Amino acid sequence: MTLTAKAFQRWLQGIAPDASTADICRVSGIKRTTLAQQLVRGKISVGTVVSISRAYNLNPVTALAGFDAYSVLAGPPQAPTSSELVSQISTADLLRAVLARPAMDPSGRKGAPPFVLSPAPHATSVKNWVDAIDDGEVRHRVSAATGVAPQNYSAQLTANRLSPELAVATALAAGVAPASGLVATGVITEEEAGWPPDARQAALDSMSDGELTTLAGDRLQALGKTLRRQEQDQAQTEKIWENLG
Amino acid sequence: MIETLQWTTLAVCGLIAAARIPSALRGENRSLFGIFALMTLAILLSIQEPYLIIDRALGGTNIANLLLRFVIFGAIFFLGVRVSKGFGADAAYRLITGRTGMAVLLAVSVVLVAVFLAMDTTGSSAGLSAVSGKDDRHYALVEYYGAAGRAYPAFVALALLPAMVRAVQDRLPVLVRIAAGLLALGGVAVTLSLLFPVIPSELGAAEFVINYTAVLCYVVGLALIWAARVQSRRASTARKTSTEM
Repeated sequence: MTLTAKAFQRWLQGIAPDASTADICRVSGIKRTTLAQQLVRGKISVGTVVSISRAYNLNPVTALAGFDAYSVLAGPPQAPTSSELVSQISTADLLRAVLARPAMDPSGRKGAPPFVLSPAPHATSVKNWVDAIDDGEVRHRVSAATGVAPQNYSAQLTANRLSPELAVATALAAGVAPASGLVATGVITEEEAGWPPDARQAALDSMSDGELTTLAGDRLQALGKTLRRQEQDQAQTEKIWENLG
Repeated sequence: MIETLQWTTLAVCGLIAAARIPSALRGENRSLFGIFALMTLAILLSIQEPYLIIDRALGGTNIANLLLRFVIFGAIFFLGVRVSKGFGADAAYRLITGRTGMAVLLAVSVVLVAVFLAMDTTGSSAGLSAVSGKDDRHYALVEYYGAAGRAYPAFVALALLPAMVRAVQDRLPVLVRIAAGLLALGGVAVTLSLLFPVIPSELGAAEFVINYTAVLCYVVGLALIWAARVQSRRASTARKTSTEM
Protein backbone atom coordinates (compact mmCIF):
# COMPACT_ATOMS: atom_id res chain seq x y z
CA MET A 1 0.00 0.00 0.00
CA THR A 2 1.25 3.45 -0.80
CA LEU A 3 1.12 6.32 1.66
CA THR A 4 -1.18 9.28 1.15
CA ALA A 5 0.36 12.55 0.05
CA LYS A 6 -1.41 14.36 2.88
CA ALA A 7 0.08 12.17 5.61
CA PHE A 8 3.45 12.42 3.88
CA GLN A 9 3.38 16.23 3.81
CA ARG A 10 2.44 16.29 7.49
CA TRP A 11 5.34 13.95 8.30
CA LEU A 12 7.72 16.05 6.23
CA GLN A 13 6.59 19.18 8.12
CA GLY A 14 7.55 17.43 11.31
CA ILE A 15 11.09 16.42 10.30
CA ALA A 16 12.13 19.26 7.99
CA PRO A 17 9.73 22.18 8.38
CA ASP A 18 11.72 24.63 6.25
CA ALA A 19 13.00 22.36 3.52
CA SER A 20 11.68 22.76 -0.02
CA THR A 21 10.89 19.78 -2.24
CA ALA A 22 14.14 20.48 -4.09
CA ASP A 23 16.12 20.38 -0.83
CA ILE A 24 14.51 17.10 0.15
CA CYS A 25 15.36 15.56 -3.20
CA ARG A 26 18.94 16.77 -3.02
CA VAL A 27 19.70 15.36 0.41
CA SER A 28 17.80 12.10 -0.08
CA GLY A 29 18.95 11.40 -3.63
CA ILE A 30 15.39 10.99 -4.94
CA LYS A 31 14.81 12.19 -8.49
CA ARG A 32 12.70 15.36 -8.48
CA THR A 33 10.43 14.05 -11.20
CA THR A 34 9.81 10.86 -9.23
CA LEU A 35 8.77 12.69 -6.09
CA ALA A 36 6.70 15.23 -8.04
CA GLN A 37 4.85 12.41 -9.76
CA GLN A 38 4.17 10.62 -6.48
CA LEU A 39 2.87 13.86 -4.94
CA VAL A 40 0.61 14.58 -7.92
CA ARG A 41 -0.85 11.10 -7.82
CA GLY A 42 -1.24 11.32 -4.07
CA LYS A 43 0.60 8.03 -3.58
CA ILE A 44 3.99 8.12 -1.91
CA SER A 45 6.10 5.00 -2.13
CA VAL A 46 7.61 3.37 0.95
CA GLY A 47 11.05 3.72 -0.66
CA THR A 48 10.66 7.51 -0.71
CA VAL A 49 9.96 7.69 3.02
CA VAL A 50 12.88 5.34 3.72
CA SER A 51 15.32 7.44 1.64
CA ILE A 52 14.22 10.69 3.26
CA SER A 53 14.40 9.18 6.76
CA ARG A 54 17.96 8.04 6.13
CA ALA A 55 18.92 11.46 4.82
CA TYR A 56 17.64 13.06 8.07
CA ASN A 57 19.22 10.39 10.28
CA LEU A 58 15.89 8.94 11.34
CA ASN A 59 15.12 5.27 11.67
CA PRO A 60 13.00 4.36 8.61
CA VAL A 61 11.00 1.79 10.60
CA THR A 62 9.99 4.42 13.16
CA ALA A 63 9.17 6.83 10.33
CA LEU A 64 6.98 4.27 8.54
CA ALA A 65 5.26 3.37 11.81
CA GLY A 66 3.89 6.93 11.85
CA PHE A 67 1.75 6.19 8.80
CA ASP A 68 -1.59 4.47 9.28
CA ALA A 69 -0.86 1.66 6.83
CA TYR A 70 2.32 0.71 8.68
CA SER A 71 1.33 1.39 12.28
CA VAL A 72 2.09 -2.26 13.11
CA LEU A 73 5.77 -1.35 12.87
CA ALA A 74 5.45 0.83 15.98
CA GLY A 75 6.84 -0.20 19.34
CA PRO A 76 10.14 -1.77 20.36
CA PRO A 77 11.70 -3.96 17.64
CA GLN A 78 10.69 -7.60 17.87
CA ALA A 79 13.58 -10.06 17.54
CA PRO A 80 13.72 -12.14 14.35
CA THR A 81 13.53 -15.91 14.65
CA SER A 82 16.59 -18.03 14.07
CA SER A 83 15.28 -19.50 10.81
CA GLU A 84 14.47 -16.01 9.53
CA LEU A 85 18.05 -14.96 10.25
CA VAL A 86 19.45 -17.96 8.42
CA SER A 87 17.09 -17.35 5.49
CA GLN A 88 18.83 -14.01 4.97
CA ILE A 89 22.21 -15.68 4.43
CA SER A 90 23.00 -16.10 0.74
CA THR A 91 23.34 -19.59 -0.75
CA ALA A 92 26.99 -18.95 -1.55
CA ASP A 93 27.69 -18.00 2.08
CA LEU A 94 25.81 -21.08 3.34
CA LEU A 95 27.91 -23.32 1.12
CA ARG A 96 31.06 -21.59 2.31
CA ALA A 97 29.90 -22.14 5.89
CA VAL A 98 29.41 -25.85 5.19
CA LEU A 99 32.94 -26.12 3.87
CA ALA A 100 34.28 -24.26 6.90
CA ARG A 101 32.82 -26.88 9.26
CA PRO A 102 35.47 -29.31 10.58
CA ALA A 103 33.07 -32.20 9.86
CA MET A 104 33.49 -31.58 6.14
CA ASP A 105 37.23 -32.14 6.30
CA PRO A 106 38.18 -35.85 6.30
CA SER A 107 41.24 -35.14 8.46
CA GLY A 108 38.94 -33.49 11.04
CA ARG A 109 40.94 -30.31 11.14
CA LYS A 110 39.44 -26.84 10.92
CA GLY A 111 38.24 -26.28 7.32
CA ALA A 112 38.28 -23.09 5.34
CA PRO A 113 39.16 -19.81 7.09
CA PRO A 114 36.33 -17.76 8.60
CA PHE A 115 34.66 -15.14 6.44
CA VAL A 116 32.21 -12.26 6.77
CA LEU A 117 28.61 -12.86 5.64
CA SER A 118 27.50 -10.64 2.78
CA PRO A 119 24.67 -8.32 3.87
CA ALA A 120 20.98 -9.12 3.30
CA PRO A 121 19.11 -9.22 0.97
CA HIS A 122 20.43 -11.86 -1.43
CA ALA A 123 19.24 -13.28 -4.75
CA THR A 124 16.53 -15.51 -3.26
CA SER A 125 16.05 -13.77 0.08
CA VAL A 126 12.31 -13.11 -0.31
CA LYS A 127 11.42 -16.67 -1.22
CA ASN A 128 13.72 -18.09 1.48
CA TRP A 129 12.25 -15.76 4.10
CA VAL A 130 8.65 -16.79 3.32
CA ASP A 131 9.69 -20.45 3.31
CA ALA A 132 11.35 -19.95 6.69
CA ILE A 133 8.22 -18.55 8.35
CA ASP A 134 5.61 -20.57 6.44
CA ASP A 135 3.63 -23.09 8.47
CA GLY A 136 1.98 -24.26 5.27
CA GLU A 137 -0.98 -21.90 5.45
CA VAL A 138 0.69 -18.48 5.42
CA ARG A 139 0.11 -17.91 1.71
CA HIS A 140 -3.61 -18.54 2.10
CA ARG A 141 -3.87 -16.26 5.10
CA VAL A 142 -2.00 -13.44 3.30
CA SER A 143 -4.22 -13.85 0.29
CA ALA A 144 -7.34 -13.77 2.45
CA ALA A 145 -6.14 -10.73 4.39
CA THR A 146 -4.99 -8.65 1.42
CA GLY A 147 -7.16 -9.90 -1.43
CA VAL A 148 -4.10 -10.64 -3.57
CA ALA A 149 -4.60 -13.78 -5.66
CA PRO A 150 -2.36 -16.70 -4.56
CA GLN A 151 -0.87 -17.07 -8.04
CA ASN A 152 0.11 -13.39 -8.14
CA TYR A 153 1.68 -13.77 -4.71
CA SER A 154 3.64 -16.84 -5.83
CA ALA A 155 4.74 -15.05 -9.00
CA GLN A 156 6.18 -12.23 -6.89
CA LEU A 157 8.06 -14.71 -4.70
CA THR A 158 9.49 -16.52 -7.72
CA ALA A 159 10.78 -13.20 -9.00
CA ASN A 160 12.24 -12.54 -5.51
CA ARG A 161 9.96 -9.54 -5.12
CA LEU A 162 7.28 -8.59 -2.63
CA SER A 163 5.62 -5.22 -2.23
CA PRO A 164 6.23 -3.64 1.22
CA GLU A 165 2.52 -4.02 1.97
CA LEU A 166 2.58 -7.76 1.24
CA ALA A 167 5.87 -8.20 3.10
CA VAL A 168 4.36 -6.74 6.25
CA ALA A 169 1.11 -8.66 5.76
CA THR A 170 3.10 -11.89 5.38
CA ALA A 171 5.03 -11.24 8.60
CA LEU A 172 1.77 -10.56 10.46
CA ALA A 173 0.13 -13.69 9.03
CA ALA A 174 3.10 -15.75 10.21
CA GLY A 175 3.29 -14.03 13.58
CA VAL A 176 6.86 -12.78 13.18
CA ALA A 177 8.35 -9.29 13.46
CA PRO A 178 6.76 -7.10 10.73
CA ALA A 179 10.08 -5.37 9.97
CA SER A 180 11.66 -8.71 8.91
CA GLY A 181 9.71 -8.66 5.66
CA LEU A 182 11.14 -5.26 4.83
CA VAL A 183 14.67 -6.59 5.45
CA ALA A 184 14.12 -9.61 3.21
CA THR A 185 12.78 -7.38 0.43
CA GLY A 186 15.70 -5.00 0.80
CA VAL A 187 13.62 -1.97 1.78
CA ILE A 188 15.51 -1.51 5.05
CA THR A 189 18.77 -2.89 6.43
CA GLU A 190 19.15 -5.44 9.22
CA GLU A 191 20.49 -2.73 11.47
CA GLU A 192 17.48 -0.48 10.82
CA ALA A 193 15.17 -3.37 11.71
CA GLY A 194 16.98 -3.69 15.04
CA TRP A 195 18.77 -6.94 14.30
CA PRO A 196 22.00 -7.27 16.35
CA PRO A 197 25.07 -6.97 14.08
CA ASP A 198 26.13 -10.61 14.37
CA ALA A 199 22.65 -12.13 14.71
CA ARG A 200 22.84 -13.98 11.41
CA GLN A 201 26.31 -15.32 12.14
CA ALA A 202 25.16 -16.48 15.58
CA ALA A 203 22.11 -18.23 14.09
CA LEU A 204 24.38 -19.89 11.55
CA ASP A 205 26.85 -21.03 14.22
CA SER A 206 24.03 -22.50 16.29
CA MET A 207 23.07 -24.87 13.48
CA SER A 208 24.37 -28.41 13.72
CA ASP A 209 26.46 -29.83 10.87
CA GLY A 210 23.47 -31.92 9.79
CA GLU A 211 21.00 -29.01 9.80
CA LEU A 212 23.35 -26.72 7.93
CA THR A 213 24.25 -29.32 5.32
CA THR A 214 20.61 -30.22 4.73
CA LEU A 215 19.61 -26.56 4.37
CA ALA A 216 22.51 -25.86 2.02
CA GLY A 217 21.48 -28.93 0.02
CA ASP A 218 17.89 -27.68 -0.24
CA ARG A 219 19.09 -24.28 -1.39
CA LEU A 220 21.42 -25.86 -3.92
CA GLN A 221 18.61 -27.99 -5.27
CA ALA A 222 16.29 -24.97 -5.64
CA LEU A 223 19.08 -23.04 -7.34
CA GLY A 224 19.69 -25.96 -9.69
CA LYS A 225 16.01 -26.05 -10.60
CA THR A 226 15.95 -22.32 -11.35
CA LEU A 227 19.10 -22.54 -13.44
CA ARG A 228 17.82 -25.52 -15.38
CA ARG A 229 14.55 -23.76 -16.10
CA GLN A 230 16.44 -20.72 -17.32
CA GLU A 231 18.57 -22.95 -19.55
CA GLN A 232 15.48 -24.65 -20.96
CA ASP A 233 13.84 -21.29 -21.66
CA GLN A 234 17.03 -20.14 -23.32
CA ALA A 235 17.22 -23.29 -25.44
CA GLN A 236 13.60 -22.85 -26.51
CA THR A 237 14.22 -19.24 -27.47
CA GLU A 238 17.37 -20.24 -29.38
CA LYS A 239 15.33 -22.77 -31.33
CA ILE A 240 12.83 -20.09 -32.30
CA TRP A 241 15.63 -17.78 -33.44
CA GLU A 242 17.24 -20.59 -35.40
CA ASN A 243 14.05 -21.40 -37.29
CA LEU A 244 12.27 -18.08 -37.50
CA GLY A 245 14.87 -15.37 -36.82
CA MET B 1 -11.51 0.80 -47.70
CA ILE B 2 -10.95 -2.72 -49.01
CA GLU B 3 -8.57 -1.40 -51.64
CA THR B 4 -6.55 0.44 -49.00
CA LEU B 5 -6.36 -2.72 -46.91
CA GLN B 6 -5.20 -4.74 -49.92
CA TRP B 7 -2.49 -2.34 -51.03
CA THR B 8 -1.31 -1.74 -47.46
CA THR B 9 -0.97 -5.48 -46.89
CA LEU B 10 0.94 -5.79 -50.16
CA ALA B 11 3.27 -2.96 -49.18
CA VAL B 12 3.93 -4.36 -45.68
CA CYS B 13 4.57 -7.85 -46.99
CA GLY B 14 6.72 -6.64 -49.88
CA LEU B 15 8.83 -4.45 -47.61
CA ILE B 16 9.48 -7.30 -45.17
CA ALA B 17 10.37 -9.65 -48.03
CA ALA B 18 12.78 -7.04 -49.40
CA ALA B 19 14.26 -6.50 -45.93
CA ARG B 20 14.99 -10.22 -45.71
CA ILE B 21 16.97 -10.28 -48.96
CA PRO B 22 20.35 -9.52 -47.31
CA SER B 23 19.99 -12.28 -44.72
CA ALA B 24 18.72 -14.66 -47.39
CA LEU B 25 21.85 -13.90 -49.43
CA ARG B 26 23.93 -14.69 -46.33
CA GLY B 27 22.13 -18.03 -46.20
CA GLU B 28 20.15 -17.42 -42.98
CA ASN B 29 16.74 -19.08 -43.01
CA ARG B 30 16.17 -18.79 -46.74
CA SER B 31 12.76 -20.44 -46.45
CA LEU B 32 11.62 -17.50 -44.33
CA PHE B 33 12.41 -15.18 -47.23
CA GLY B 34 10.54 -17.67 -49.42
CA ILE B 35 7.47 -17.44 -47.18
CA PHE B 36 7.44 -13.64 -47.38
CA ALA B 37 8.08 -13.65 -51.14
CA LEU B 38 5.29 -16.18 -51.77
CA MET B 39 2.92 -14.21 -49.57
CA THR B 40 3.73 -11.01 -51.44
CA LEU B 41 3.03 -12.77 -54.73
CA ALA B 42 -0.22 -14.17 -53.33
CA ILE B 43 -1.42 -10.72 -52.24
CA LEU B 44 -0.43 -9.28 -55.60
CA LEU B 45 -2.51 -11.95 -57.36
CA SER B 46 -5.50 -11.34 -55.16
CA ILE B 47 -5.79 -7.64 -56.03
CA GLN B 48 -7.97 -6.84 -59.04
CA GLU B 49 -5.63 -4.74 -61.22
CA PRO B 50 -2.42 -6.78 -61.01
CA TYR B 51 -4.47 -9.97 -61.30
CA LEU B 52 -6.01 -8.87 -64.59
CA ILE B 53 -2.63 -7.83 -66.02
CA ILE B 54 -0.93 -11.09 -65.03
CA ASP B 55 -3.79 -13.35 -66.04
CA ARG B 56 -4.15 -11.69 -69.46
CA ALA B 57 -0.45 -12.22 -70.00
CA LEU B 58 -0.96 -15.90 -69.16
CA GLY B 59 -3.75 -16.30 -71.73
CA GLY B 60 -6.80 -14.92 -69.98
CA THR B 61 -8.11 -18.29 -68.74
CA ASN B 62 -7.86 -17.45 -65.03
CA ILE B 63 -4.92 -19.82 -64.69
CA ALA B 64 -3.47 -17.09 -62.46
CA ASN B 65 -6.17 -17.91 -59.90
CA LEU B 66 -5.07 -21.54 -59.82
CA LEU B 67 -1.49 -20.34 -59.52
CA LEU B 68 -2.56 -18.11 -56.61
CA ARG B 69 -4.01 -21.12 -54.76
CA PHE B 70 -0.79 -23.09 -55.06
CA VAL B 71 1.32 -20.09 -54.08
CA ILE B 72 -0.80 -19.86 -50.91
CA PHE B 73 -0.39 -23.60 -50.28
CA GLY B 74 3.37 -23.28 -50.68
CA ALA B 75 3.59 -20.29 -48.33
CA ILE B 76 1.40 -21.88 -45.67
CA PHE B 77 3.27 -25.21 -45.89
CA PHE B 78 6.68 -23.62 -45.31
CA LEU B 79 5.21 -21.39 -42.64
CA GLY B 80 3.78 -24.44 -40.89
CA VAL B 81 7.10 -26.28 -41.06
CA ARG B 82 9.15 -23.33 -39.77
CA VAL B 83 6.76 -22.30 -37.02
CA SER B 84 6.16 -25.82 -35.70
CA LYS B 85 9.91 -26.52 -35.67
CA GLY B 86 10.75 -23.20 -34.06
CA PHE B 87 8.16 -23.47 -31.32
CA GLY B 88 8.98 -27.12 -30.70
CA ALA B 89 5.45 -28.22 -31.68
CA ASP B 90 6.42 -31.75 -32.65
CA ALA B 91 2.83 -32.97 -33.01
CA ALA B 92 1.99 -30.12 -35.39
CA TYR B 93 5.20 -30.73 -37.35
CA ARG B 94 4.37 -34.42 -37.77
CA LEU B 95 0.79 -33.60 -38.72
CA ILE B 96 1.85 -31.10 -41.40
CA THR B 97 4.83 -32.98 -42.89
CA GLY B 98 3.65 -36.51 -42.19
CA ARG B 99 1.37 -38.79 -44.15
CA THR B 100 -1.81 -36.99 -43.01
CA GLY B 101 -0.55 -33.60 -44.11
CA MET B 102 0.62 -34.87 -47.46
CA ALA B 103 -2.67 -36.71 -48.03
CA VAL B 104 -4.67 -33.57 -47.24
CA LEU B 105 -2.47 -31.48 -49.54
CA LEU B 106 -2.76 -34.02 -52.37
CA ALA B 107 -6.53 -34.44 -52.01
CA VAL B 108 -7.14 -30.70 -51.89
CA SER B 109 -4.88 -30.14 -54.90
CA VAL B 110 -6.62 -32.83 -56.95
CA VAL B 111 -10.06 -31.41 -56.13
CA LEU B 112 -8.87 -27.90 -56.89
CA VAL B 113 -7.44 -28.79 -60.32
CA ALA B 114 -10.39 -31.03 -61.20
CA VAL B 115 -12.96 -28.36 -60.37
CA PHE B 116 -10.92 -25.77 -62.23
CA LEU B 117 -10.82 -27.93 -65.35
CA ALA B 118 -14.55 -28.63 -65.07
CA MET B 119 -15.29 -24.92 -65.42
CA ASP B 120 -15.27 -22.75 -68.48
CA THR B 121 -12.76 -20.25 -67.14
CA THR B 122 -12.22 -18.00 -70.14
CA GLY B 123 -12.28 -14.29 -69.39
CA SER B 124 -9.94 -12.96 -66.70
CA SER B 125 -11.79 -11.99 -63.55
CA ALA B 126 -10.42 -11.59 -60.05
CA GLY B 127 -11.99 -14.00 -57.58
CA LEU B 128 -13.60 -15.79 -60.56
CA SER B 129 -16.67 -13.59 -60.07
CA ALA B 130 -17.46 -13.47 -63.79
CA VAL B 131 -17.11 -17.26 -64.04
CA SER B 132 -19.41 -17.69 -61.06
CA GLY B 133 -22.04 -15.54 -62.73
CA LYS B 134 -22.23 -17.65 -65.90
CA ASP B 135 -24.90 -20.11 -64.66
CA ASP B 136 -25.97 -22.09 -61.59
CA ARG B 137 -23.54 -24.91 -62.28
CA HIS B 138 -20.62 -22.52 -62.49
CA TYR B 139 -21.80 -20.75 -59.37
CA ALA B 140 -21.68 -24.04 -57.41
CA LEU B 141 -18.33 -25.04 -58.92
CA VAL B 142 -16.70 -21.75 -57.94
CA GLU B 143 -17.99 -22.25 -54.39
CA TYR B 144 -16.40 -25.74 -54.24
CA TYR B 145 -13.23 -24.38 -55.76
CA GLY B 146 -13.03 -21.66 -53.13
CA ALA B 147 -13.75 -24.10 -50.32
CA ALA B 148 -10.98 -26.43 -51.51
CA GLY B 149 -8.60 -23.50 -51.70
CA ARG B 150 -9.33 -22.52 -48.10
CA ALA B 151 -9.25 -26.07 -46.72
CA TYR B 152 -5.48 -26.61 -46.74
CA PRO B 153 -4.52 -23.28 -45.10
CA ALA B 154 -7.17 -23.96 -42.46
CA PHE B 155 -5.71 -27.42 -41.85
CA VAL B 156 -2.22 -26.01 -41.24
CA ALA B 157 -3.56 -23.11 -39.17
CA LEU B 158 -5.52 -25.47 -36.92
CA ALA B 159 -2.49 -27.74 -36.51
CA LEU B 160 -0.42 -24.78 -35.30
CA LEU B 161 -3.07 -23.16 -33.11
CA PRO B 162 -2.57 -25.17 -29.86
CA ALA B 163 1.20 -24.59 -29.89
CA MET B 164 0.71 -20.86 -30.46
CA VAL B 165 -1.76 -20.55 -27.60
CA ARG B 166 0.74 -22.39 -25.37
CA ALA B 167 3.61 -20.15 -26.49
CA VAL B 168 1.66 -17.01 -25.53
CA GLN B 169 1.58 -18.25 -21.93
CA ASP B 170 5.17 -19.52 -21.93
CA ARG B 171 8.22 -17.86 -20.37
CA LEU B 172 9.51 -16.46 -23.66
CA PRO B 173 10.67 -12.96 -24.63
CA VAL B 174 7.69 -10.59 -24.72
CA LEU B 175 8.01 -9.88 -28.45
CA VAL B 176 7.97 -13.60 -29.21
CA ARG B 177 4.85 -14.05 -27.09
CA ILE B 178 3.12 -11.18 -28.89
CA ALA B 179 4.20 -12.79 -32.18
CA ALA B 180 2.75 -16.14 -31.09
CA GLY B 181 -0.49 -14.33 -30.24
CA LEU B 182 -0.58 -12.78 -33.72
CA LEU B 183 0.10 -16.16 -35.34
CA ALA B 184 -2.73 -17.64 -33.27
CA LEU B 185 -5.05 -14.81 -34.31
CA GLY B 186 -4.07 -15.36 -37.95
CA GLY B 187 -4.85 -19.05 -37.52
CA VAL B 188 -8.29 -18.23 -36.13
CA ALA B 189 -8.96 -15.92 -39.07
CA VAL B 190 -7.90 -18.59 -41.58
CA THR B 191 -10.16 -21.11 -39.87
CA LEU B 192 -13.04 -18.62 -39.89
CA SER B 193 -12.61 -18.36 -43.66
CA LEU B 194 -14.06 -21.88 -43.86
CA LEU B 195 -17.37 -20.30 -42.89
CA PHE B 196 -17.45 -18.03 -45.97
CA PRO B 197 -20.15 -20.05 -47.78
CA VAL B 198 -22.60 -19.33 -44.95
CA ILE B 199 -21.77 -15.63 -44.69
CA PRO B 200 -24.61 -13.65 -46.33
CA SER B 201 -23.52 -11.75 -49.41
CA GLU B 202 -24.34 -8.37 -47.79
CA LEU B 203 -21.43 -9.05 -45.44
CA GLY B 204 -19.04 -9.67 -48.33
CA ALA B 205 -16.63 -7.08 -46.92
CA ALA B 206 -16.21 -9.29 -43.83
CA GLU B 207 -14.56 -11.91 -46.04
CA PHE B 208 -11.95 -9.43 -47.19
CA VAL B 209 -11.31 -8.24 -43.67
CA ILE B 210 -10.88 -11.81 -42.39
CA ASN B 211 -8.55 -12.74 -45.26
CA TYR B 212 -6.32 -9.73 -44.89
CA THR B 213 -6.34 -9.92 -41.10
CA ALA B 214 -5.00 -13.45 -41.43
CA VAL B 215 -2.24 -12.43 -43.83
CA LEU B 216 -1.27 -9.35 -41.81
CA CYS B 217 -1.20 -11.32 -38.54
CA TYR B 218 1.06 -13.98 -40.03
CA VAL B 219 3.40 -11.53 -41.72
CA VAL B 220 3.68 -9.15 -38.77
CA GLY B 221 3.97 -12.08 -36.33
CA LEU B 222 6.91 -13.55 -38.25
CA ALA B 223 8.51 -10.13 -38.61
CA LEU B 224 8.21 -9.57 -34.84
CA ILE B 225 10.10 -12.78 -34.10
CA TRP B 226 12.81 -11.57 -36.40
CA ALA B 227 12.81 -8.18 -34.67
CA ALA B 228 13.03 -9.92 -31.28
CA ARG B 229 16.11 -11.79 -32.43
CA VAL B 230 17.79 -8.64 -33.69
CA GLN B 231 16.96 -6.95 -30.38
CA SER B 232 18.34 -9.82 -28.29
CA ARG B 233 21.55 -9.87 -30.35
CA ARG B 234 22.02 -6.17 -29.73
CA ALA B 235 21.38 -6.63 -26.02
CA SER B 236 23.91 -9.46 -25.78
CA THR B 237 26.63 -7.58 -27.66
CA ALA B 238 26.01 -4.54 -25.45
CA ARG B 239 26.38 -6.76 -22.39
CA LYS B 240 29.62 -8.24 -23.71
CA THR B 241 31.19 -4.85 -24.35
CA SER B 242 30.14 -3.54 -20.96
CA THR B 243 31.70 -6.52 -19.15
CA GLU B 244 34.87 -6.20 -21.16
CA MET B 245 35.36 -2.63 -20.00
